[in-house]
Amino acid sequence: MARNVSTQRKIVVTVAAWAIGILIFFPILWTFLTSFKTEAQAIASPPLFLGFDWTLENYHEVQERSDYFKHFMNSVVISIGSTLLGLIIAIPSAWAMAFSPTPKTKDVLMWMLSTKMMPPVGVLVPMYLIFRNTGLLDTRLGLVIILTLINLPIIIWMLYTYFKEIPGEILEAARMDGASLAKEIIYVLTPMAIPGIASTVLLNIILAWNEAFWTLNLTASKAAPLTAFIASYSSPEGLFYAKLSAASTMAIAPILILGWFSQKQLVRGLTFGAVK
Amino acid sequence: MDSRSRLQELLPKLVLAPSFLIVLVFVYGFIAYTGILSLTDSKMLPSYNFVGLQNYVRLWSLPHWWRAISNLAIFASLYIVICSVLGLGLAILLDQRIRIEGLLRPIYLYPMALSFIVTGTAWKWFLDPGIGLENTMHLWGWESFSFNWIKDRNYAIYCVVIAAVWQSSGFVMAMFLAGLRGVDNEIIKAAQIDGASTMTVYRRIIIPLMRPIFLSAFVVLAHLAIKAYDLVIALTGGGPGQATELPATFMYSYTFTRNQMGIGASSAIIMLIMIFSIIVPYLYSEIRGGKGR
Repeated sequence: MARNVSTQRKIVVTVAAWAIGILIFFPILWTFLTSFKTEAQAIASPPLFLGFDWTLENYHEVQERSDYFKHFMNSVVISIGSTLLGLIIAIPSAWAMAFSPTPKTKDVLMWMLSTKMMPPVGVLVPMYLIFRNTGLLDTRLGLVIILTLINLPIIIWMLYTYFKEIPGEILEAARMDGASLAKEIIYVLTPMAIPGIASTVLLNIILAWNEAFWTLNLTASKAAPLTAFIASYSSPEGLFYAKLSAASTMAIAPILILGWFSQKQLVRGLTFGAVK
Repeated sequence: MDSRSRLQELLPKLVLAPSFLIVLVFVYGFIAYTGILSLTDSKMLPSYNFVGLQNYVRLWSLPHWWRAISNLAIFASLYIVICSVLGLGLAILLDQRIRIEGLLRPIYLYPMALSFIVTGTAWKWFLDPGIGLENTMHLWGWESFSFNWIKDRNYAIYCVVIAAVWQSSGFVMAMFLAGLRGVDNEIIKAAQIDGASTMTVYRRIIIPLMRPIFLSAFVVLAHLAIKAYDLVIALTGGGPGQATELPATFMYSYTFTRNQMGIGASSAIIMLIMIFSIIVPYLYSEIRGGKGR
């Protein structure tokens, strides 16, 4: 394979790869830049790349028009809340499967994971009815619960694969030395498990943050997160480029930052562990 | 056996139980409930008046459903094929020891970190003839430029493909790249010593070795395609007319806006069957192959 290639070819390939990278990234970059332009500058011809008067006016207007911070806080509460709740349920399960496997463990795991692939419409009706009857529609609590349920299999799976990488001998050695179960978990297991748990948290926050099917269908306004905020901008009438750009930049900014640190986890999670 | 070791034996089962029950009830229990509803004459509210398979018969007689199914066929096949080809191409490109690859890879992957709803909304403006690409070209003086697929019944579905491909191909690239990096260098060296060209090495050795990755990519992309909902809702809302209706949006509109819960439930069951027929053989081979870990 071309792992030792001539310099000339290397340059060509590098240029090509970067050109494609810029092409892929361009819509995101352009949206970001446009969000700081005035409406007139946004549609100027020829287009302005960096030489324009940077303004924050669009951000003010978007905030005033559709209360970005309310949606932002909803997204934060929902994604962090559902991740924490999910961890509380998933850590013991993953721990049990990783360190006390039975012949059925793998089947159970695959079975749980398979549910993540199912279309959510399959459970929408009963879920909706329960939410309506219990008054959970359009509440943050309701969304925390649903996102926990939806992402639980993937949390368990991710934790399991990370826990599996911890050598069981160390735990046995601790047990031999007379460590109680509690001590074994707190002093031996936890420090080694923290990187895996952190990766799982990162992945799950992104998944919960991006989740749109449930957040759109089970909220109206009070608990609506950023997915609903951005969806409200989907009809272009009466809006202009710069403001649309500001709205979408605000909606994706947290993910752009988190996404940089969590590429690996994202691939690992979305391929169900097929790629590590 | 003292109490501590008995506890240690029982504990794993005990702590696994809540997750097990949650998945069992909230996924399989609710699917069963949807299955039951699909056999009833539920309209706006669930009813328990069983009508047999009547909903399924009606479902398959609806042109609207056929539209959704044929759209899914177009969307899924283009989405899977284009993403796989682009993903493999990009992975091979990145595998050539590119400079600053560490910076480039995250850029390829960025779209996947975004929500489908953001992608859909952004592409909606971009493809809109009034404010997007077409308008921009007109402003720049290319008056005859025309690109209004998103408003055209015959082409709107391809707009969904464009947005979805933009979002997913970097991620497929990451899968293939991991596969390429896993190929044993010795095999490649041996082939090169035997005088095989780079093209031949890729075609005859590396790509065949990556069969499992193709399979994984297929399963991941296929289930994303069948589940596709948010992207279509944000991009076209299923329109113009029913031009981009997919099974998931069909299910939603029949259940909640057209008050045909029975038909909606039966369409959900059909989607589940489609997903099952893809993932069950896959999971089975994973377990059998013993590489699922």
